[in-house]
Formats: sequence, structure tokens, C-alpha cells
Amino acid sequence: MKQLEQPADANPGFQIAPMIDVVFVIMLFFMVMAGAVKVEHELKTTLPGNAETSKEMEMPDEVTIGVSESGEITLNEDPVGAPADRLLESLYNQMKQMGQAAEQSKTKLLITVQAEETARYERVINVLDCLAKANISNVTFAVADTE
Amino acid sequence: MIDVLLVLLIFFMSITSSQVLKVDKNISLPVAANGVKRDDKAAAGLINISWDKTTGVAKYKLDDRELDMNDKDGIAKELAARKGDNPKYRLLVRADKDCHAKYISKALEWGAEAGIENIAFSGLNHEE
Repeated sequence: MKQLEQPADANPGFQIAPMIDVVFVIMLFFMVMAGAVKVEHELKTTLPGNAETSKEMEMPDEVTIGVSESGEITLNEDPVGAPADRLLESLYNQMKQMGQAAEQSKTKLLITVQAEETARYERVINVLDCLAKANISNVTFAVADTE
Repeated sequence: MIDVLLVLLIFFMSITSSQVLKVDKNISLPVAANGVKRDDKAAAGLINISWDKTTGVAKYKLDDRELDMNDKDGIAKELAARKGDNPKYRLLVRADKDCHAKYISKALEWGAEAGIENIAFSGLNHEE
């Protein structure tokens, strides 16, 4: 008859140990998910020929980077990147130097990325990404008429 | 101990769910690891450009609504109305990586027509 002394609705109090287990499992889940999370990044450009350039009369150094249909990259007509070269190291090095030189002489560097009509967008993004890595912000994007 | 666990839990929850990507499933974005993180504070018109590999034609969507490629004036008018007099309004171009450059320039043309000169291209921080 000892059971009668302990009624069935006796409150055992809040159990912390099972809660820690649950929290731990949930935390592990989010930790694993955190590694795979895809964050969207953006590359900022301006349209070619915007009004800002007409205000200052100093001529910026103009550089044209071409993206061909096959994925080849040219810097002022000189080839700098093969179609399979995704990191574009040589373009990055040259742009970095140019950026530093422009900063020292206090001129503005104006980069135009000129893609052929049928060039793949991914290639254009590779170039823009490379320019972002080299800290160059004044970039415009244009598509050349092949006609 | 439980306090620390809860704090960690909240931390990991926030970094995983801070950006629920509203990405069109048909678009596979290119990788742009060096881009800056997207700031959602500035108002932006979002143009999704998906690419049909078999026909080689791009499809445009402004937010979730499909756009007619040939209706240049209509789109420009709509973008201009959205822009209002906000000089910081941006055009966020989110295009498939196989898309051809001339279709991208078309979207930029609409933006130019509407007087938007801030363009941002969107990419993922790492490969899937």
C-alpha cells in the first residue's frame, strides 16, 4: 500500500537533463547546416557613360577587358586568360598593379568589361569577381556588337 | 551549461537561416566569392534571368512575374515607377551562368531606360 502515499499526479519537477540532450541534438543539426549554407554575394557595377564622368574633366585611365565567346579574356587586346582558367591569376596581378599605380598618381581607373554577344555570363562574373578581389570599384559592363 | 548551449544554439540558428534564398530554382548562379555580402536594406529591383539550354533563349522575371522581352517601354516604365525618386535604387541581376551576355545587357538597357545606374550582379559564395 505504499503506492497510495505517492499520488499519480506527483510533479517530479522540471527535468534539465533530457532538455540538454534535445538542445544538443538541435545544435548539432544547425552546426552541420552552417557549413553548407550558401550566401548570395553581389558584384557592384555602374552603367557605362553615366553622368558622373562629365563632372570631372580629368581623363581617367581607361582599360578594356574583353570576354570572347570561347571564354578567352583579353586585357587591352592582349590575351591574359585561357578559357579554362577560372581564377585569372595573371589578370588579377596586372589589375592589382594598375590599381596601385592609379592610386599613387591619384588618377581614376575606369574599367570596361566588354563581352561578346554570345559570351557566357559565368565568364563575365569570373572577370568581375577578379576585379572585386583586386579592389577595383569603377567597373562598367558593356556588350560589343559583333555585327 | 544550459545557458551556453542555448546561446550557441541561437547563434547557429541565426547564421543558417539569416538568408533564406529566394532563388528561382531554374537558375544556377555563378560563383563570385569576392563579392560583397548582399545588403537587403537598399531597395532593389530583382531581375531573374533563366536560361533554356535546348532553345538557347533567356527568360526574364521581375521579382516573381514573367516579363515580355519585347515590351521594352513597358518594363522601363515599371522600373521607373518602382524607382520613384530614390537615387539609391539598384537593379539586381541574377542570371544563370550559361546565359549569353547580350541577354544581360538587355536587362541593363531596361535599367538605363528607367534611369537606374546602380547595377549589381549576383553570385554564390561557393560552389554547390
